[in-house]
Amino acid sequence: MLEYILKRLIWTPILLLIASFFVFFMGNIAPGDPAELILKNRATPEKINALREEMGLNKPLVIRYFSYIKKAVKGDLGDSYIFQGKKVTELLIPKLLVSIKLNIAVTIISVLIGLPLGFYAAKRRGSWVDPTIVLSMLFLFAMPVFFTAPLLITIFAVKLGWIQASGWNGFFDKQIILPALTIGIPGAAIYVRYMRASTLDVIDQDYIRTAFSKGLNNYTINYKHIIRNSILPILTLLGFTIAGIFGGSLIVEIIYGIPGVSRLALDAIYQRDFPVLTALVLIGSTMLVLANLIIDIAYTIVDPRID
Amino acid sequence: MIKKMNKIIVLALSLIFIISTGCGSEDSISNTNTSSENQSKLSLAPKLNEKSQPSTNQQGEKKSGGILKRVWSDPPTLDPHLVTDGTSYGIVIEVFSGLVKLGGNPNEPIEPDLAESWKILDDGKTYEFKLRENLKFSNGENVTTEDIKWSLERAAHPDTGSTVVEEFLGDIVGIKDIIEGNSNNAEGITIIDDEIIQIKIDAPKAYFLAKLTYPTAFIVNKQNINEGGRNWTDNPISTGPFTLKEYKIGQRIRIARNDNYWGSPAYLDEVVFNLAGGVSMAMYENDEIDITGVGLADLERVEDPTEPLNKDLIIVPPSFSVSYIGFNVNEPPFDDVKFRQSLNYAVDKQLIADQVFSNLVRPAYGIIPPNFPGFSPDIEGLKFNKEKAQNLLNESNYSDPNTRPRITVTVPGTGGSPGLTTEVIADMWRQNLGVEVEIQQVEWATYIQDLHRGRLQSFSGLSWQADYPDPSTFIDVLFRSDSALNNGNYSNKEVDTLINKAQTEQDITKRVNLYNDAEKIIVNDAAWLPLWWGVEAKALVKPWIKDYKFYSMTIPTYQYVWIDKDIY
Amino acid sequence: MNSFNQKTLFSIFLNQLIKRKLALICISILFIIYFIGIFAPILSTHDYAETNLAKTQNGPNMENWLGTDRLGRDIYTRVIWGIQNTIIITLITIITGSFILGISLGLAAGYFRGKIDIFIMRLGEVISAFPDILLIILLAATLRPSIISFGHYIEDTFGFRGILSSGIVDYLVIGIALLPLSWFGLMRLVRGQVLSIRNAEYVQAAKAMGTSNFVILFRHIFPNILSPIIVSISFSIGAIALSEVMLSFFGLGVQPPRPSLGVMIGDVTARGGASISVLRNHPEQLLAPIIVVWLMIFCWNIIGDALNEIFNPKNQY
Repeated sequence: MLEYILKRLIWTPILLLIASFFVFFMGNIAPGDPAELILKNRATPEKINALREEMGLNKPLVIRYFSYIKKAVKGDLGDSYIFQGKKVTELLIPKLLVSIKLNIAVTIISVLIGLPLGFYAAKRRGSWVDPTIVLSMLFLFAMPVFFTAPLLITIFAVKLGWIQASGWNGFFDKQIILPALTIGIPGAAIYVRYMRASTLDVIDQDYIRTAFSKGLNNYTINYKHIIRNSILPILTLLGFTIAGIFGGSLIVEIIYGIPGVSRLALDAIYQRDFPVLTALVLIGSTMLVLANLIIDIAYTIVDPRID
Repeated sequence: MIKKMNKIIVLALSLIFIISTGCGSEDSISNTNTSSENQSKLSLAPKLNEKSQPSTNQQGEKKSGGILKRVWSDPPTLDPHLVTDGTSYGIVIEVFSGLVKLGGNPNEPIEPDLAESWKILDDGKTYEFKLRENLKFSNGENVTTEDIKWSLERAAHPDTGSTVVEEFLGDIVGIKDIIEGNSNNAEGITIIDDEIIQIKIDAPKAYFLAKLTYPTAFIVNKQNINEGGRNWTDNPISTGPFTLKEYKIGQRIRIARNDNYWGSPAYLDEVVFNLAGGVSMAMYENDEIDITGVGLADLERVEDPTEPLNKDLIIVPPSFSVSYIGFNVNEPPFDDVKFRQSLNYAVDKQLIADQVFSNLVRPAYGIIPPNFPGFSPDIEGLKFNKEKAQNLLNESNYSDPNTRPRITVTVPGTGGSPGLTTEVIADMWRQNLGVEVEIQQVEWATYIQDLHRGRLQSFSGLSWQADYPDPSTFIDVLFRSDSALNNGNYSNKEVDTLINKAQTEQDITKRVNLYNDAEKIIVNDAAWLPLWWGVEAKALVKPWIKDYKFYSMTIPTYQYVWIDKDIY
Repeated sequence: MNSFNQKTLFSIFLNQLIKRKLALICISILFIIYFIGIFAPILSTHDYAETNLAKTQNGPNMENWLGTDRLGRDIYTRVIWGIQNTIIITLITIITGSFILGISLGLAAGYFRGKIDIFIMRLGEVISAFPDILLIILLAATLRPSIISFGHYIEDTFGFRGILSSGIVDYLVIGIALLPLSWFGLMRLVRGQVLSIRNAEYVQAAKAMGTSNFVILFRHIFPNILSPIIVSISFSIGAIALSEVMLSFFGLGVQPPRPSLGVMIGDVTARGGASISVLRNHPEQLLAPIIVVWLMIFCWNIIGDALNEIFNPKNQY
């Protein structure tokens, strides 16, 4: 087990190096010369060349990559091409925090709706309740956010005037409700499916049957045995939350006017702001990989059979 | 300047304000020699279209302040010396200021700002400016002629990294040496005393004063920049009617009244620019913003007199611009004038304007837009004529579809579709001529690069906006053989001769005639497919916002705006 | 999973399916949608690119069954061609991502283990380390220009037309962009299944008899892990339809004049705004494509659930 964890720990930084190199490489083959981009139509071949030299773009890719990584380790992710004079980190971090907060809210909604419904559906297997829950969640899941987000704005902001049509006032504000619901409810459908399946799995285990036959009360069985054991596989889904920060809430952030990371990412792709993009992928990958690592290690400790 | 026109829907929706804000964005004033005399006569011709909401401002009425809110985009920079785009321009001109500024008076578009007055000495080569008394920066420090000199030199310094300084300040003696890094001192700028400064330029150029209205010539605070370093614009010390109070990238910009402004202070306490996006129409209806553009999809509803929003509706005067599909005349099949003419004749612009754009656009048959100096109603252009189009196609070298080179129309954009105009025109070519074209959508950054490099065979989604009121801003810049912005490589000796004559012509009527002759040749050569003149947008402005005016050019406006608390 | 005889598997499958009415309804709906999409050239009433400015933004009528858009194009025709577009993208993604990469790499990794296994798993981990939507957009945005100019080059060199107008280039870009999403999950599933039965008696017996690895893999192992693969693919089809909408929303899908459901939705939604207006003023223009996309996602999930219950009554993921 220790050996496994150790292996994973060694592999993680290598993984990140490969991933970040890939983005670096994509930035290199993408059309559009950064020097030309900065100089706009004032670009003459001499000016372009001078700027390329200054930016170090004339050096080989690998050398540039390693000097980038060297700086990145110290927390310097370079300067944005588009926002002149701004460091990538100062651009990214405030927006990242917004997206993280939004996605925490989304996860809370998904979990609060998804897990109880999934559990309840499993418990009521065979009755009309189970298919009703599953179907209605699927119904909502299949609705494109292109449709639901504008619809919710029209109803709750324009018609009823309960909240603003756009804006972000932090985590503890009612403005977070609509966007979080827009992604959270379809997300809950996935939690329902997993929770229902994993509850059914546990219910059918011999020890639960034994517990029932021993006459333990419902509460004890439900909470001590079934839920505790069925929630474990759900942990994996928390990786979704982290992945969601980087682009999962893209359309929602744009439609609701939330100053999150998605819009920045999109603009960075379209405007060829590769320092921002590389940094985004680097941070995103790091978070994703670390989360998976923690989940994996947690599993290994709980269930040593996994290798 | 070039402005985005890829999507009329989006444009009219909310970006209209953002995009049409900069009147001197990427491209500056061209090298025309207009004397100041001509300039003022010329300006009689254009109306700067000062349409606005009927002002209910009667005497004695109390003008109160408050907060005006609107939607904007992240400005690429707030350093006036680095501004090259309309989004930054719209904010920078409210916060910073220079010796002179653009005003709303069509007869005298250039107004004094920090300079109270100026004299032109030495046969038009030296400008002597007299600063206002008690000029102060927003932090209360005095503005001196030292600051003016330092600011102009700083704009030129290579470390500042301005890409437009040569265009706007390059005429000043000594500035080019600074740009090249050979000097730190512009010998052409002479401080006479605390209030008087002289600027010497290399030749008598009447348009020089107009260039000083661009942010490259704005005044910044030395200490502010030296202490603030690269992030000095986070807390800028400035001289405009407003000061920057807060800038959170992707969230909002707040500018607040500058109490140390030399003129009468602004009524508004603050202007808040929402940068996070969202659905601006819904935000307006919800009173979250005070001004919004109206998109095509909402137009019918808003124009309905029974709709409550209808009373807020305002017509935004068209900007002095023309949108077009450009042809690269070096590349087949566009090297054949008959083929180009055929494509022109095959498009029924009036029908598109009526049916697709609810007549928000005005079909362009020439280059120079109406109400602009040099506009000629005589130019009829290549109006829709299917038969003529077919005949010309058959006469051209590319009548056979099997041997005709591939035609790719490149459009800028990142949305779902490349814009209604290009799609409907491509289909008109197909239906009326049987000419098939391929539409390629590329992102704006790549598009601009390819355009400037002359890599595009045919390009759509572009619009050209006047930088200053003179026909040269269209004809010289876009069609002279050696102009850097002649992206279609159009070259006609006759046109070049006419342009050269016009540049030195002192008589205003003759000059306009020369330009009209050139324009006629260009139109008949079908160098472009001109599409629309200035999009006339519709906007909504809350009834309590008073004296918010729309102009055809972008000028500082918020300082005059006030809020009627009785309605609010 | 036990090794069923193919015939009994199929009859169990049919019996079970008939019991599930909703799944049957969904299958019929999808059948109709896909039928319409495949036969779009025959079933369409207009040319999808044909504009008609004499009748823009009409509501549904006898000539234009679902009305017309702002350019007077027939919405019904554009929707069914859009369905065909989605079908093509789905097929490309499933063939390349699921069959070629997912299944074969999964079989290889699980069966041979060792270095191959490590390499494939590591590769998958690298790819899944990217936030997926970002990766898709990045790939599509950076690859498109190079692939298009390559297409031009081929056309010019060999002197014929039609590569680009056929939309092959667009499909290639979309296929490559969606690839990273589609293969790793399935690969892991297949690998896990193979691992669980590679030591089964019948596999060992075949090995002992000197049967070649290829035959063992495809005659003995593959049929026995088929059902989870089918379930997994059926879940993913809905997701692919949604990805197409996403790509088009960002202007990275098929290029006009070819219609796509994503463009029809994204067109009016672009830059997050106008869809409210269209929804309020001309809902019919937006509803048809949205309902089709919605149906595809919903039905494939119902079918996936049903298949899952039929094939793996105990393991209901």
